[in-house]
Amino acid sequence: MSPDPDDDGWPARFEAELVRLGQHPARARALAQESVDQAVEAGSDADRLLGPPHLYARHLVSELNDVPAPPGVGGPPAPGRVLLRLADVGKRYRRRVVLAGVDLTVRAGEVAAVVGANGCGKSTLLRICAGLTRPTSGTVERTRRVGLVPQDGGTAPWLTAAEHFTLFGAAAGLAPRRARSTGEHLAARLSWRPAAGQPAQDLSGGTRQKLNLVLGELHSPDLLLLDEPYQGFDQGTYLDFWRQVVAWRDAGRGVVVVTHLLHDLRHVDQVLDLGSRPGARVAAVAR
Amino acid sequence: MTAVVVAGLTLREVARRRAVMVLLVGMPLAFYLARRDLPGQSTRMLTLGIGWAVATLTLFVVNAQRGVDPRLRLAGASVTALVGGRLLAMTAAGTGLAAAFWGMVAVLQDVRRPWAIGPLMLVSVLVGVPFGSLVGALLPRELEGALALLTVVAVQMLAHPEGLLAEVMPFWSARELGNYAIDATAVGDLWKALAHAGVTWTLATGATLALFARRLQVAQYPEP
Amino acid sequence: MVTSRPWLHGFLDLCLLAMLGERSDYGYGLSQRLAAAGVADVPGGTLYPALLRLEQQGLVEPHWAASGSGPRRKYYALTAAGHTALAEQGADWRRFRDGIDALVGTPVEGSAR
Repeated sequence: MSPDPDDDGWPARFEAELVRLGQHPARARALAQESVDQAVEAGSDADRLLGPPHLYARHLVSELNDVPAPPGVGGPPAPGRVLLRLADVGKRYRRRVVLAGVDLTVRAGEVAAVVGANGCGKSTLLRICAGLTRPTSGTVERTRRVGLVPQDGGTAPWLTAAEHFTLFGAAAGLAPRRARSTGEHLAARLSWRPAAGQPAQDLSGGTRQKLNLVLGELHSPDLLLLDEPYQGFDQGTYLDFWRQVVAWRDAGRGVVVVTHLLHDLRHVDQVLDLGSRPGARVAAVAR
Repeated sequence: MTAVVVAGLTLREVARRRAVMVLLVGMPLAFYLARRDLPGQSTRMLTLGIGWAVATLTLFVVNAQRGVDPRLRLAGASVTALVGGRLLAMTAAGTGLAAAFWGMVAVLQDVRRPWAIGPLMLVSVLVGVPFGSLVGALLPRELEGALALLTVVAVQMLAHPEGLLAEVMPFWSARELGNYAIDATAVGDLWKALAHAGVTWTLATGATLALFARRLQVAQYPEP
Repeated sequence: MVTSRPWLHGFLDLCLLAMLGERSDYGYGLSQRLAAAGVADVPGGTLYPALLRLEQQGLVEPHWAASGSGPRRKYYALTAAGHTALAEQGADWRRFRDGIDALVGTPVEGSAR
């Protein structure tokens, strides 16, 4: 069977990428064939019509996992109970003021973004929310079940993804097998099928961030705290990440995202701006 | 139990690091071979090498897992489970190492009390593990920690055996037990050694747990 | 080529359901009808995943038919559930559109001159 010169291996690469993203091989083959037919009926070739095969594969898989709400209809459920409340929270080290007068309330079903230039206390605020540091002033109330997705270094480089699931599951009281299957299920939602026997340090930056996300929610927390998770993300991974944030929100969880990359306010319910100087009076919470 | 899972995964983690495994076996062996001609001295050096290798390994393990510790705490793990699991793993690894070297010495060397060589090495391991973890708890950077361990071991080797300095060193118990096993000294040495080892182990383990309990404290905020 | 314009997302499903409610069609045919209706020039990378998604949700079902030239084509038709969804979403859209029209369409009073 001579390969179609126009397609130049596009279907094979497309099919391979679909399988890698967790699609059943038979379904991947069917989808590949359909895509080729679509190109033919449009009088074009697959590459020109649909783009590079590996990108289109990601796009297709995430589209199939996504269920957009029609405009004007409903929308996400109304925000629920308060999961986190910071009242006039401040943090100082000796003479240095890192945070001052921070107010923040996050309810179930809400996404709060924390923005500000580097060095103005975003990570400190997140650590206070997590309870790893205590504030020097103000009060914090928070639901007990919380998950943390740190900027980096939150994984064990020599352990595989499955072993991470076991470890974090054990911390939460999950039996190893259940922890692993939960981890794999959560990974599939991010279009990721962890390869067996691959240590975390061999994962690409984007994939390691996915591992971080899964580990953060493995124990089913009500509130998720994320610290600039998209360094080293490519466009596709970035979209996957926000899809996950929206899914968490729609499932009634609360999410706090620390970032300075916020150009998509569509999914965010409130923005907390820590200002451009450390210790500056916290600005308004804007929508 | 969480501690058991932590222990198992720590062992797996360490086993993947081939260079570490080679050094773990090679370093004590190098110590031994340096003085192979003198049966007593070579066994003593071997024992010290085992203690040092295990302490260094524990130091590195403790530091390497700092990144995951806060997250594991938030997921619900206790400090005892985390720290205890690691100590358990390193003790198990060290025990295996000691058993292997015991066999080697029993075959290759001619000592007065060969049955005591096993306990001798075990004591070195039991002291080395919590000591290494204590240094790791105090000095979060590997380089500083390794240098501190190096200093301690060097002093142990060079200090006058009868002096106070040697007695205060953590591996003194191994030295005394060595006397008992190799030179067949009185039984009093055995008890002194075991007592010293017991005290060292308790102090080092307790201090490690206390330090980590403070560092990994998670604030219990009230529910809103 | 594979850009998906978010504002089009929810609208695209509704348009596809409506067109298929009128008559069954295949992918390229639908894209031509969309362009002819002046809605948008929807790229293949957006259209085909949308159709697959509707199929996955059980709102449309495929059947293959031979075409005059070239390979067989995959035609889509609305299912019963698809008809229901079209009716509901269509009603929602009309409500939404009328609301926007009311706000935007009314000329500002007193500024005619």
